[in-house]
Amino acid sequence: MGTSPGPREESPIDSGSSPHRHPVRVEVHGLSKSFGAVRAVDDLSFTVEPGSITGFLGPNGAGKTTTLRMALGLERPDAGTATFDGVTYPDLPAPVRTVGAVLETAFHPARSGRNHLRVYCRAAGLPVPRADEVLAQVGLADAGRRRAGGYSLGMRQRLALATALLGDPAVLVLDEPANGLDPEGIQWLRGFLRHLAHAEGRTVLVSSHLLAEMEQTADRVVIVGAGRLVREGSVAELRSGAQGSGAVVVRSPEAGRLAEVLGAAGFTVAPSEDGRVTVTGTTPDAVGAQAFRAGVELHELRAETSGLEELYFRLTAGQEQYAAPEGSRR
Amino acid sequence: MIALVRAEWTKLFTTRVWIGLLLGACALVSGFVVLFTSFAGSTPGGGQGGPPGGLPAVGTEQFEQLVLAVGANVTVLFLILGIIGMTQEYRHRTATPTFLTTPRRGRVVIAKLAAYALVAVPFALVVLAVNYGVAAVAAGARGAVPALSGENLQVLASSGLALVIYTVIGVGLGALVRNQVGAIVGGLVYLFVVEAIVRQISAIADAYKWLPGGALEALTATLQGPDLLERWQGALLLLGYGLVAALLGTLLAVRRDVV
Repeated sequence: MGTSPGPREESPIDSGSSPHRHPVRVEVHGLSKSFGAVRAVDDLSFTVEPGSITGFLGPNGAGKTTTLRMALGLERPDAGTATFDGVTYPDLPAPVRTVGAVLETAFHPARSGRNHLRVYCRAAGLPVPRADEVLAQVGLADAGRRRAGGYSLGMRQRLALATALLGDPAVLVLDEPANGLDPEGIQWLRGFLRHLAHAEGRTVLVSSHLLAEMEQTADRVVIVGAGRLVREGSVAELRSGAQGSGAVVVRSPEAGRLAEVLGAAGFTVAPSEDGRVTVTGTTPDAVGAQAFRAGVELHELRAETSGLEELYFRLTAGQEQYAAPEGSRR
Repeated sequence: MIALVRAEWTKLFTTRVWIGLLLGACALVSGFVVLFTSFAGSTPGGGQGGPPGGLPAVGTEQFEQLVLAVGANVTVLFLILGIIGMTQEYRHRTATPTFLTTPRRGRVVIAKLAAYALVAVPFALVVLAVNYGVAAVAAGARGAVPALSGENLQVLASSGLALVIYTVIGVGLGALVRNQVGAIVGGLVYLFVVEAIVRQISAIADAYKWLPGGALEALTATLQGPDLLERWQGALLLLGYGLVAALLGTLLAVRRDVV
């Protein structure tokens, strides 16, 4: 289990690190679906570009999984479409060669991982040895002949990913792929997805309810709450838009003087007894610059909550299905 | 479509359900033959000479047809084979990767029906071979190996046909009900409780011959029973039930959300 996406290069079917042969854009247009009185997905539209990782972000129950399942023809939308280069999933001439999806880690417990993959090779008309290639690609070569029922959660995620990669697809759709992965596995997945998107030009759409994970993995994010689009844009755009709304913690042996200096410079300052000063409504950069100019020694300087995190909570506040009472969150 | 049928066979033979069901069917068939042979010719009063009320004696035409028709009693295991084949996709949630690979879901159900109908043929032949083999040994020990000809052969073929059709009905039922335990329990309760009751109540017993159990009995029964269809009519009716279950299952699988 390496942290580099290296094993891909061993696969004869893939194009090495050259751009993927046929980039495919995903367009979701006006998707809606209700379950009884609950509008799970409400007139949702967004696009996913090739060559980048798009994070599909929202609290649990925001309609992410329903959206993905509708896009892949597993559930029938009440309205709207999702297309891959203009074609809906069921109409794709070779669906698994165009789109690979990790929706749930579902296997027959008595069937080995390798046989599981062989079933789908057969069904998709792919050469059966492809099963061994994708097993190696996700680092499961040694476990392939064992019953999938004995796999750890992380191994199941890897097997689900291997299933999605069988057809060497131009688009990868992953629903909460980091669930059940250990920190090493998450780092591996991050590198793997980056390689697939940036080096090979594939279109990668990853859903998650964890902003921190998406901040590190995604190039763009689509934020949903209560089934509606809340914000769409690049991570950099959102971050700069959220500048100055976070809180910065500074620790200094001269905490008193630091608080004075920062207060005089117009910052909102809250000193505490243990040598820490909390500054709100600014960035670590601005606080550090001010302290440097005043010649105050700093021992610590960090963003307590990133501006993006504040923004995410604000955007999706009260839209979780089982929202915590106001004020109890964080 | 051939690729999808082969994928279904890979699914079937990479788990061990089929071994259990096939061995179970062979064991049951052997047990029935031995049981029937042991009590052949005895009457409830303990005398010899066969019916009424008892089993026909070894060497009689009725006895041979009776022991060669026991395959029809394990149709329920073939029904379960078909049910599991379909419902395991929902039970283990592999329906998602299956329908992602083949988004035209009707093709998946049709491939399953074809795969299980085709696989039921060799399975049925194995059961029939065991049936005849045990009958030959058991009845042979009492002096009369059943001939493999004429009416006897027809009885065996009818059982085999019933086994194949019940497998197809199982796949269709599985596509309709989706819940594995529900489909199996429902199937068993229907066959052994509902139909048994309908068969008993004279006012509605006329309907029995039109039900799947009645059709099966028409196709395979060798003893005197209630008013039934002709053997070929029973076969056609049973085939009709198999096709209806398959058609409904396909339509529902296409229309319903995969959950």
